[in-house]
Amino acid sequence: MSIPLPIIGVSQAIKSIKELIKHVADTALNIVITGESGVGKEVVAQNLYFNSNRKNKPFIKINCAALPDGLLESELFGYERGAFTGADQRKKGKFKLAHKGVLFLDEIGDMTLSLQSKLLHVLQSGEFSPLGSEKDIKTDAWIIAATNHNLEQAVKNGKFREDLYYRLNIIKFYITPLRDRPEDIPPLIEYYIEKYSNHFNTDKLLKPSKKVMDSLLAYHWPGNVRELQNVLKRVIILKDWEEVVNELNSSILPTSLAVKQSDESSIISDLLDPGSLETKGLESLSLKIIKKKALGRIEKEVISYVLGKTGWNRSKACKILKISYKTLLYKITDLKLEPPSNLKRKLS
Amino acid sequence: MKKKYKLLIIDDDENILAVLSKYLRGKKYAVATASNGLEAIKLFESEGKDFDFIITDLVMPYITGVGVISIVKQKRPEIPIIAITGWGEHPEALATESQADLVLKKPFELSELDNLISNLLSKNNNNDT
Ligand SMILES: Nc1ncnc2c1ncn2[C@@H]1O[C@H](COP(=O)(O)OP(=O)(O)O)[C@@H](O)[C@H]1O
Repeated sequence: MSIPLPIIGVSQAIKSIKELIKHVADTALNIVITGESGVGKEVVAQNLYFNSNRKNKPFIKINCAALPDGLLESELFGYERGAFTGADQRKKGKFKLAHKGVLFLDEIGDMTLSLQSKLLHVLQSGEFSPLGSEKDIKTDAWIIAATNHNLEQAVKNGKFREDLYYRLNIIKFYITPLRDRPEDIPPLIEYYIEKYSNHFNTDKLLKPSKKVMDSLLAYHWPGNVRELQNVLKRVIILKDWEEVVNELNSSILPTSLAVKQSDESSIISDLLDPGSLETKGLESLSLKIIKKKALGRIEKEVISYVLGKTGWNRSKACKILKISYKTLLYKITDLKLEPPSNLKRKLS
Repeated sequence: MKKKYKLLIIDDDENILAVLSKYLRGKKYAVATASNGLEAIKLFESEGKDFDFIITDLVMPYITGVGVISIVKQKRPEIPIIAITGWGEHPEALATESQADLVLKKPFELSELDNLISNLLSKNNNNDT
């Protein structure tokens, strides 16, 4: 991460967020950022970091929903050599890596209660110890957490520890959904169309007509800014606002456009791979190839999600996926799926 | 002549702000108010040198009371702060850790608040001299 991404928007909500960033960036107080998927929680975290006096230190991100408990714990705190079978090397935890910098805990609302207590303990004592170690290590990581859950509700339901809630929520950012601040849509469109046109070296695109803009303003954007980005990439490929907007409203658009995914991993950006576009041109995007790519992509995401959730237990995974063990093994090789590095040693 | 102390009261409940500021103005304090932590920090950044005392609610949007206390104490560790907690809220331990000088639980008597302010202010002045 070398340059901060700008926060685009003219709504009061975005103005307040920018103002709040300015006033709290140097405090190193714990922060929780809430809002739906794709609203810009990570961008806000990055902007906090870039506006702080920690900007020359590391920004370490970890997604608390993506890993099973044990793995998440060893990612956070690290482990000593021999801490458990398979730990043949010591591993630095994210708390250590983020020392004097920022530790961005994404999807904190998905953390299990048992890890929540461990996290609370670290925040209270300012110390942690890697698995298998007797020593306590001091940590000075600035904690910025994000979640799309309603944490107050989670506290009421006993899913989130109240004491941890209060300790993390010293400063609260709430980012409203894009549908509730439609005035931000035109500047976002302008910014991203410009950015993508430059990036993909395509001709300047015509401005959307009033009718198109009205539909875009009225659309409910379940995937928020990330979905808008994907829509704009599609407009750039198809060079046709009307068609994309019609797709959007009749929602025949692949759902993957709306669901949470980083821009690097979306199908559309795969299709928009600048290298292949330059050499082969847009004509090379035959529907057959697109279909195959899209299917492979979805298969890969689903399988790797299930594997992740089962801690790469392949017999469990194939039951969930309702495919044979052999097919699963074949898919793993074919789709080049790999277990996370710390699991790899245990499995092999 | 008695010095006129300047208090900053922070609460997102307008009614409480109104009651507290009316009462404390009657006790010859100069009173400024803020309805959330961000507003408070902005006031503090512009007129921070003037404030002699801060009273803050703990549970507020944006910058919570605990955040306000930490930020203020980073800049002016000597300024006395009373934190007020609502019914059924439990951030008291945090408030104490973040160096609030006192934590006052709702409901409380206004005269009790007045006494606490006087005590803290005179204690502070004795330390100064
Ligand atoms: N206000 C904004 N201005 C510019 N880009 C934004 C804005 N909000 C979100 N984005 C972009 O949208 C995408 C999704 O944002 P992200 O921060 O990953 O969302 P979240 O963490 O809430 O899921 C990112 O590429 C981000 O750069």
